[in-house]
Amino acid sequence: MVMAVPGSERFSSRPVDPAELAAQLPESLPVHTVTQEQIDALDPLTYEVVRHRLWSVTDEMGEALKRMSGSPIVTDANDFDFAVSDELGQEVQVGLYNTMLVGAVDLAIYWTLQHRATNPGIAEGDMFLTNDPWVGGGLHQNDAMVYQPVFTDGKLFGWTSAIAHQPDLGGVGLGSFSPAAQDVFSESLPTPPIKVVRDGVLQDDVADVWVRRSRVPMMIGLDLRAKVGANTVGRDRLLAVIEQYGADTVKAVMKRMMADAESRLRGKLTDLPDGTWHATGYQDQSHTGDRGLHKITVAMTKSANHLTFDFTGTDPQSGVVNCTYAGMRGGVMLALLPILAGDIPWSAGGLMRCFDLVAEEGTINNASFPAAVGRGPIGPAWLTGNLVAECLSQMLDQAPDLDAHVQATCCGTWDTAVIAGLDQRGAVPTPFLSIMMDPMAGGYGAQPQADGMDTGGLFCIPLGRVPDVEMTEFLYPVLALWRREEPDSGGPGRRRGGVGASLAITPHGTSFPIGLVLASNGKAVSQNNGLAGGYPGNTGVEWIARDSEVDAMLGAGRLPAGLDEVGGTAELQPCYGETYVAPGEVFTMFWQGGGGYGDPLTRDPEDVVRDVREEKVTAATAEAAYGVVLDGSGAVDAQATDTRRQELKDARRARGPADGTRETIELTDARRLDDNLVAVTLDGVDQVACRHCASVLGSGAVGELDLVRYEGPVTDAGPQVVDGAGDYVDGAVHFRQYCCPGCFTAISTAVVPVDHVDDVTRTSRVLADARS
Amino acid sequence: MTYVIGVDVGGTFTDAVLDDDSGSVIAAKAPSTPPDYSRGVLDVLELLAEQLGRPVEDMLAETHHVAHGTTSSLNALVMRRVPEVGFLTTKGHRDSIFIMNVEGRYLGRSPHELQHVLAQDKDHHLLPKRHALEVTERVDRDGNVIVALDEDEVRAQVRTLQDDGIRAIAVSLLWAFRNPVHERRVRELVAEIDPDIYVALSSEVSPRIREFARNSTTIMSTQVGPGLRDYLTNLETSLKERGLAGPLLVMQSNGGAVAASEAPAQAISTVGSVLTGGVVGSSQLGRRLGHKNIISTDVGGTTFLVGLIVDGEPERDTTTVINHHPINVPTLRVHAIGSGGGAIAWVDAGGNLRIGPHSAQADPGPACYGQGGTEPTNTDANLVLGILPATGLLGGRKALDVEKAREAIRVKVAEPLHLSIEDAAAAIHAAQNAQTGDLLRKSVVEAGHDPREFVLYAFGGSGPAFCAKYATHLGVAEVVVPLGPVASAFSAYGLAASDIALAQELSDPAQLPVDPVRAEKNFAQLEDQVRQGLDRQGLKFDRVEIVREVDMRYAMQLAEVTVPVGDGPLDENAMNAAAQRFETKYAELFGQGSGFSAAGIQAITYRVRGRGVLPFSPELPPLETGDGEPPVSGRRPVYLEIGQGFVDTPIYDYAALRAGHVITGPAVVEVPTTTVVVPEGRTGTVDELGNLHIVKNGA
Repeated sequence: MVMAVPGSERFSSRPVDPAELAAQLPESLPVHTVTQEQIDALDPLTYEVVRHRLWSVTDEMGEALKRMSGSPIVTDANDFDFAVSDELGQEVQVGLYNTMLVGAVDLAIYWTLQHRATNPGIAEGDMFLTNDPWVGGGLHQNDAMVYQPVFTDGKLFGWTSAIAHQPDLGGVGLGSFSPAAQDVFSESLPTPPIKVVRDGVLQDDVADVWVRRSRVPMMIGLDLRAKVGANTVGRDRLLAVIEQYGADTVKAVMKRMMADAESRLRGKLTDLPDGTWHATGYQDQSHTGDRGLHKITVAMTKSANHLTFDFTGTDPQSGVVNCTYAGMRGGVMLALLPILAGDIPWSAGGLMRCFDLVAEEGTINNASFPAAVGRGPIGPAWLTGNLVAECLSQMLDQAPDLDAHVQATCCGTWDTAVIAGLDQRGAVPTPFLSIMMDPMAGGYGAQPQADGMDTGGLFCIPLGRVPDVEMTEFLYPVLALWRREEPDSGGPGRRRGGVGASLAITPHGTSFPIGLVLASNGKAVSQNNGLAGGYPGNTGVEWIARDSEVDAMLGAGRLPAGLDEVGGTAELQPCYGETYVAPGEVFTMFWQGGGGYGDPLTRDPEDVVRDVREEKVTAATAEAAYGVVLDGSGAVDAQATDTRRQELKDARRARGPADGTRETIELTDARRLDDNLVAVTLDGVDQVACRHCASVLGSGAVGELDLVRYEGPVTDAGPQVVDGAGDYVDGAVHFRQYCCPGCFTAISTAVVPVDHVDDVTRTSRVLADARS
Repeated sequence: MTYVIGVDVGGTFTDAVLDDDSGSVIAAKAPSTPPDYSRGVLDVLELLAEQLGRPVEDMLAETHHVAHGTTSSLNALVMRRVPEVGFLTTKGHRDSIFIMNVEGRYLGRSPHELQHVLAQDKDHHLLPKRHALEVTERVDRDGNVIVALDEDEVRAQVRTLQDDGIRAIAVSLLWAFRNPVHERRVRELVAEIDPDIYVALSSEVSPRIREFARNSTTIMSTQVGPGLRDYLTNLETSLKERGLAGPLLVMQSNGGAVAASEAPAQAISTVGSVLTGGVVGSSQLGRRLGHKNIISTDVGGTTFLVGLIVDGEPERDTTTVINHHPINVPTLRVHAIGSGGGAIAWVDAGGNLRIGPHSAQADPGPACYGQGGTEPTNTDANLVLGILPATGLLGGRKALDVEKAREAIRVKVAEPLHLSIEDAAAAIHAAQNAQTGDLLRKSVVEAGHDPREFVLYAFGGSGPAFCAKYATHLGVAEVVVPLGPVASAFSAYGLAASDIALAQELSDPAQLPVDPVRAEKNFAQLEDQVRQGLDRQGLKFDRVEIVREVDMRYAMQLAEVTVPVGDGPLDENAMNAAAQRFETKYAELFGQGSGFSAAGIQAITYRVRGRGVLPFSPELPPLETGDGEPPVSGRRPVYLEIGQGFVDTPIYDYAALRAGHVITGPAVVEVPTTTVVVPEGRTGTVDELGNLHIVKNGA
């Protein structure tokens, strides 16, 4: 537990009860609202027409922001978002860009209503600016939000907002990221809501204070104007809709959109089994020089039509791998929106009513001031989302018709490398500073009916993209030796995890070393977990080949295909560090694929053949992980495959023999629990059985499932997991697998710290009413 | 007599328009004949000749040229019915076409699909990895050869492809547009092994920076090139055998044509032509009617295509999307929005009325087509509302089943919403109007324009029934429904009226100030290529128009904007003027003050467009003038306005209308190919060419 700085708690925004918030507002700020009768009285035609119009307004606002922004993180990587909210800040319609930001927007508006309504007041023609992750609006200080109250007939009608990642807002580190930071005072200054536009006029004094902190003040000034412009578009269009349909009608539609999203999500939840699901994951290293493993743990309880995410037990805040409450909530949204609400309109204000968050203060995903939070979104908030996704997927896997929404964990972070140096290719040498965008091409987790998407992107930024290699080389003095999908990086499974990729660059056109700031995780311990026995995807890894022979090699007409070909000394890079890559050296990044789903020994051999042919899986891994042997023509050798699969099963049996014997059960009326487990009701008591061999593994009357646990070296997971946790952290990491004691099909497979607590054998994990 | 013939080969019908130099125009329609579309072309020419009352040989002997637009290449790509091709690229970068910059996951998907991340996929790769092979070579951004080409390796890779039955190879190497020496050498090496293998080089097909789009453009061009070559060779031979005097021209997506012999090498440039035909037609008609700013809306059974004409010129684009791949091809900008008359109405899990994004497609089509469709579409609603005649479409040739339409609406919309079938149909119609207005607005505003400054043209089978309503949502004052003799073949009319257009481009990215000598050299080289290309068409032009342009961007911003550059020779002033034009246009498109000029401006791609203006411009014949009230052909109850229900409405037969006739809404005009609604409060006037202009009363 960390003691917060006295006085800082005022800035910690939390979700509020709308009625209470409305009651707190001063008389000087009348708000426009409608009654339930007005909402109920909407006819279907008006609702559909105005709903579509509001979508169009939001979309136009986002387009305006994207076009006007000068930040490549916005224009290329799409790390931004925008929203239209009701009078109390509840989000009616949000953009499809960085979905984590959705969890932060309303918090800032609540805070503004609570702390700005009287002094300096909230008036027509105002816009506010904030980058305080405790207040909300963004997940770290680089996320700056500009938002405005929209008035009609003198009443506060609603809000528009635009948020974008800013390339640099000051602080010790380039790009406002300091991998060695111990607290927020080393980072960019968090700015609570300030009025940046009054009466429609951008305030020069406030704007100057804002841009003064940055290493790229002109770009920050441009982005500020872009966000002001986007809000202006939003207000003008919203007022036009109000003029056409009347404020009451438009507001009734807004309220109903949220109520509709809420009721549809609640309806979906109601149909799902009640229960509690757990997931625990890690940040390996918290800052430069750290050798710790930092845990986030979540217990998700679904009861009737409501979810509770309880993060109690999460480790204390540390180094830079912290996020505020807004980050934790954003992390939940990154999972909840696509997994539970892919087919429900994203009226986030309604969706967010369907869950509560429980978390101790001062932890890595609910950090107290003055924790450093620069890595918030890409580290702990992301992990929060992936763990929530893991819980949701466990729950949804039990619903027969929702398996299209189940997914093993995706790539666990955005592997970050900031590059800076001097470009000497032109007539005038020019300094440059940028982030390598390529690691956005991460792999997706596998699904029960589909393999994970290869280099599909980052789950939290549905519309992300990576630049062409030629654009990178045009802009920066580097030569990309390769950028390629990496075979075997997707977690093996009945459905394979999507592969990740790697990049190798060498300086080209500069005589100076290129400075590097590195930040990543998932190197010592897997973050892209498998599901239902599927294996984790690869661990990430970065190398620099010092004093390599790459230049001589190119001159001799050879292009390297791997680090082992370039000579010199290979230097492993930590999760967090500052270093350089000099001319003649090679820097490689290898980022994460997604986790697998189901036991790879149950994968259709023809799918493995296709994977080998398409170079998603090597022939060696086809044999070692999938037990599929190919003949000389690349087709399945059916007999050798049967033999090999039996050998692999026997090896599992040999390493952890099952005690005694167990009964089998008739599976005719079995209900699916996941890819391997089914439930059969016998004499009124649910029995858990193996879908493959019909062995009874447990009963609703018994708290523990009868599974065989095995622990071994991480190399047991396959070549995608690097056996080198000791290079990063002090804690030991191992391979852990639970198998059915009857047929030795994998029920759960993981690469975790040796002291990792799991609940794979907890019967109530799969049977809600089991004795826990 | 001299004729010009336009032939538009669609998936279902092949349309043709013939103009002569005396100002008469005739049109014909024949079924398309896949897989060999040339039979349909010959059929429709026979029909034209029949109408002329002359043997087809006589007609073709007096034909100046045949301009041909075809959807077959596009269909082949979209349906993925293309031969397997090989791909050779720089070692280390083969996976560009598999990583697809990540955006391959979502490019070309609707807003609805964008949100449903878990339902997306990247399974639409252009070719399997075993046909994408790498060669050792490397050029840097300044065109320096960093690693020499390994020729033995190239030979080995080509043989590998050859052994796998590959007969066409796309070659796209990094930075080849800066220095094509390696690509050209690869082509020589392929020819040494087998001169019959079709080879396309990225430095020729698309010499533009950004390897993913260049790779996919080169590959797709390779996929359709050999097929197009075979088809056109065969068709041209058949036409020559029948006595065609002039050349066969092929329409490109840039709105101009090119000689058939030139098309296969640049096969990709012909791919979007069928989509842009409507824009070309609108632009031709707009010139005649004096409209400078036009929103062209082409609404078919399953598609809704939008194009813009601004200040008399169709808006252009440099990139399009096919099968979730970005394709570099100079094109008239056409947005596909919504799904036309086939958009399905449904009630979502929350009990709300929704229109689209799913569409009934051609098969089964709307419920009222009686082809097994059970989902209610906008067409079904229009039938129930009395907008479409119960006697069917195409003058009764396409029967419609009102009962099936009513049943679909009853089950899927009316009962879930507790509405009458008629009220449900009216709600579907109105919601579709409003949403179309929203989507149209998005297209216009995102192109940097104010819809109120435009006239809207509405054509295609489904558009005219609701154009007056979506125009109102858009704030457009005047709607034109192009009718008259070529209404049913508007796109073919555009073909017959088009000129020869060629474009060449080259990326040479550099920060401004660019040495004017370097820029001039780029332009001069491109202009040479364009002029030589025009010479090769074998046609006599009235005049040749050359336009130089450059795509620029702010160094830190993604959006590239195309600006014209004055004729050479270039000096510093001319370059500065181009930069100034870029800044002005950027502000128009993206808002005042949105450009980050402090980061500097970069010139990315140089382009020269050449237009060979043909000495033959078809004129539409005038319509006979009518006086007095237009004759009403009948009356039926039509439900147009929510709250009013069915109103006894006059029906006009278009064939009986004459120039100058004024129709007061509410009214329905029946045309064989479409149905036009003139709503209450609007007036429709027939112009001297037979087009119907719909404006607000008193406007």
